[in-house]
Amino acid sequence: MVDLETIRKKAKEIVSREDVKHLIGWRKGTFGYRVTPYWVEAPEDAEELVYSPLCNTNLATSLTLAEKLPLPKGQEPDRRKTALLVRGCDSRAVVQLLTERGVDREQVVLLGLPCRGVVDLRKLKDSYPEDNEVADAEWKEDKIVLNVSGEKKEIPREEVLDDHCLVCRYPNPVEADETLGEKVEPWAEESHPGVEELENASFDKRWDFWEKEFERCIRCYACRNACPMCYCEDCILDRLNPTWIYRSNNYSENTAFHIARAFHLVGRCVSCGACERVCPAGIPLGKINQKLVKEVREKYEFEPGTDPEGVPFQASYNPQDQEDFIL
Amino acid sequence: MSNKENPYIPHMAKVEDTWYETHGERAIKTFRVVFEDEEVKESWEHLPGQCAMIGVLGVGESMISISSSPTEGKFLRFSVMRMGKVTQALHQLEPGDSMTVRGPYGNNFPLEEWKGKKILTIGGGIGQAPLRPIVEYVRANINDYQDLTVIYGARTTNDLCFKQELEDLRECQEVSSCHLSIDIEEEGWSHFVGFVPTLLMEVNPSPENTIAITCGPPIMIKFVLENLKKLGFEDEQIYTTLENRMKCGIGKCGRCNAGPLYVCKDGPVFNYATLKQVPEAFA
Amino acid sequence: MSEKVLQKANWSSFVQALADARELWFPVKDGPIYKFAPYSGDVDAGLEEYAYSSVPPKAVVLPQTETMFLYQVGDKETSLPEEKKEKVVLGARPCDARAMDIVDRVFQWDEDDPYYLENRNKTAVIGLACNEPFVNCFCTSLDGSPGSTQGLDVLMVDLGDKYYLRSVTDKGSRILGDAESALEDASGEGSQAEEIIKEAEGKIKRSIDTEGIREKLEEGWEAPLWDEVSRACLGCGACTFLCPTCHCFDIQDEVEGFDGRRCRMWDSCMFGEYTLHTSGHNPRPSRKERTRNRISHKYRYYVEKFDKIACVGCGRCITSCPVNIDILDILSRVKEEL
Repeated sequence: MVDLETIRKKAKEIVSREDVKHLIGWRKGTFGYRVTPYWVEAPEDAEELVYSPLCNTNLATSLTLAEKLPLPKGQEPDRRKTALLVRGCDSRAVVQLLTERGVDREQVVLLGLPCRGVVDLRKLKDSYPEDNEVADAEWKEDKIVLNVSGEKKEIPREEVLDDHCLVCRYPNPVEADETLGEKVEPWAEESHPGVEELENASFDKRWDFWEKEFERCIRCYACRNACPMCYCEDCILDRLNPTWIYRSNNYSENTAFHIARAFHLVGRCVSCGACERVCPAGIPLGKINQKLVKEVREKYEFEPGTDPEGVPFQASYNPQDQEDFIL
Repeated sequence: MSNKENPYIPHMAKVEDTWYETHGERAIKTFRVVFEDEEVKESWEHLPGQCAMIGVLGVGESMISISSSPTEGKFLRFSVMRMGKVTQALHQLEPGDSMTVRGPYGNNFPLEEWKGKKILTIGGGIGQAPLRPIVEYVRANINDYQDLTVIYGARTTNDLCFKQELEDLRECQEVSSCHLSIDIEEEGWSHFVGFVPTLLMEVNPSPENTIAITCGPPIMIKFVLENLKKLGFEDEQIYTTLENRMKCGIGKCGRCNAGPLYVCKDGPVFNYATLKQVPEAFA
Repeated sequence: MSEKVLQKANWSSFVQALADARELWFPVKDGPIYKFAPYSGDVDAGLEEYAYSSVPPKAVVLPQTETMFLYQVGDKETSLPEEKKEKVVLGARPCDARAMDIVDRVFQWDEDDPYYLENRNKTAVIGLACNEPFVNCFCTSLDGSPGSTQGLDVLMVDLGDKYYLRSVTDKGSRILGDAESALEDASGEGSQAEEIIKEAEGKIKRSIDTEGIREKLEEGWEAPLWDEVSRACLGCGACTFLCPTCHCFDIQDEVEGFDGRRCRMWDSCMFGEYTLHTSGHNPRPSRKERTRNRISHKYRYYVEKFDKIACVGCGRCITSCPVNIDILDILSRVKEEL
């Protein structure tokens, strides 16, 4: 695929450019399988970059999370570009942001990386619990190799990869200034994990299912904040005047929150699965998002973040769009 | 008087009178209220500088300075700028309506300590609201203080609060001086034109045996502090009041801290010597 | 102080006896996580699988949402919610009980908080010592231990086929009295329990020397460190909501039809909205200031007020952070760099 030295070398080159402020990648975390987003400011910082199946954050979020604070009087804004390591899903997020004018293409440098999926830590929990020692992992054909305290464990990817990655059809960046390494052949059939099962369940069953899931929500908004698509400056959830969704934690308000979150992702979710991976309450948010992804694909033949020249789903009108389900 | 068993349960207070200090989108409306419960009315005690949580059931509460001095009588005055959800609801209130009040909260200006001294207040915009009770208190106890000087300004004449009262003050003999300003020239305005910190330099008060208290927009406070230093004031002679978002008012909910200081308990009144040590206070 | 032994075979009757006397709160598996919930009659529910609750038992005494009073919109009368029931929390980890002790001080300081104190005074805590510490445990750095009894009414230690129980308070003795029929008198199990605790202590791998941190936090206010450690922060509330000592809350009026209630709910200093003035001014405008506040509150402000660090070393903030912001990493950098 791509080796780390190539990435580091290229990263060094990019951050050495005068028009680049920094490059955002990942580096080792402080324990277990953790990896953390990392800002490479100077060429020597690039030595700390890592790239593995443990890189489970969507780096496009770093673009939308960047804070734009008022500058001290007389200080010129830093107009240099932000460089970003992007895999398929990260790049799809960037593309979606481009079409929404959430990000200016001129302001980003995209260094593409092929990807064979990221690990869902919840799947490792029981069989390969996290230890204090920082572990490493790598892709090896259709396996994931965990390297814990010098001991290598090969695990079939089906057992540990995030569900979203298991059905990913975009393992390669859809947009990048340069893509390193060899392209990865998509391995998955079109499917939407967890959706069919729920679709086939009765209304009551589905209601009960989500009631139990949403009841557990602690409203920490990690799902919202980890999502590269949630970047409204004034989020409906934080608004108090008017208060659209009460801050009380109960099934009703929590459901309202999750519906609001989901609706704002219609035709925008790029299926990276970051929201679900960060949820401290383990709510299967992917199932909601995938249902929306499926609907939009089937009814509108639209896939977010796949066409840099495209028009956002909600902003496009096609006379051929189905309307039999519209009231 | 805080509700002894449950400090979160507010008292009802009837709006006796209201009037607008300023108009426009961010109008400032003053409310004079009295507690509906006789016992609360009698036992309520507050001192200049303290605040109260006032609000409307069904909407919420906001921390507002009590802009009346206890020397004025058994009522409370609040001057409220229409800003958010709660203040919008408060602005709907007319005489005869009720609002909720709990408190008083926070510390107060140490007016006892200041006896025998010259009192100088420097206010801007709505920042005069917490200073007004000092002015009233000192006026009521004028023999205890050597002198009272009021400096106050706003952007335009329409933004000046307590206009009539301040004009009246100028006529009052016990007040040695009251200086008003607006930022931009206006027809018919015979007082100073310019920013409050500039007016302060113009007035040129002596730091000798003087206490200076300032409140207003952060940028004004910043320059007033600088200018007070230029005039030779020591940090210990300077006081200000802070505001931060508050919910409980009693040091539990956590959000009003500026560094280690809780504005609701350690403030809102702070001596500049203390505040100087806390970078977050001027954030 | 009474020392008892509970044979695991008698677990169900013990649980039932507790539940008969008081409202019993118990670590319940909910989806992939554990949280404390009222006992629902499922006596098979044991503590065998349970490691720790993702949502700490602070939620029992400081519920995520709590009604303060009720009213009818347009009326002037307010009414209080129902009185709280006598509760017993079974299976809290010792660090979580120590955390309650920390939160107690805030709600008792200066003015009493009636809601919290009513809940807290009516709650007894039966703690379960940790035989196996978890990956990010560092309680021993904060005067804690896998068998600490601070904040507990009863300490329970898993001895394999039985539990050793020791009452720490009078309340604890009464609780054990309620469940007397399921218990036996202890005979020497106490020392076995001590051994287990000592052994567990030795297994804790993470630590921090807290000496001097308070001072450094004060001196290093503007240090570039704060930019670096907060950079990856998503600004979510996972670290604070799941922290057993975090206690900040919001107060909101919520109305349905004419039924109004004023309630309070957990809030987080990691949210921008938390300190946002209505004018749009925010004294903590970015995640840097918020991260600094979170750490400073625990390791400086609280210490200055109550002479104690407001952290018990449970490691939840580390484990739950989506981007691996690690308080121990921050603290050791504070020590080294500031």
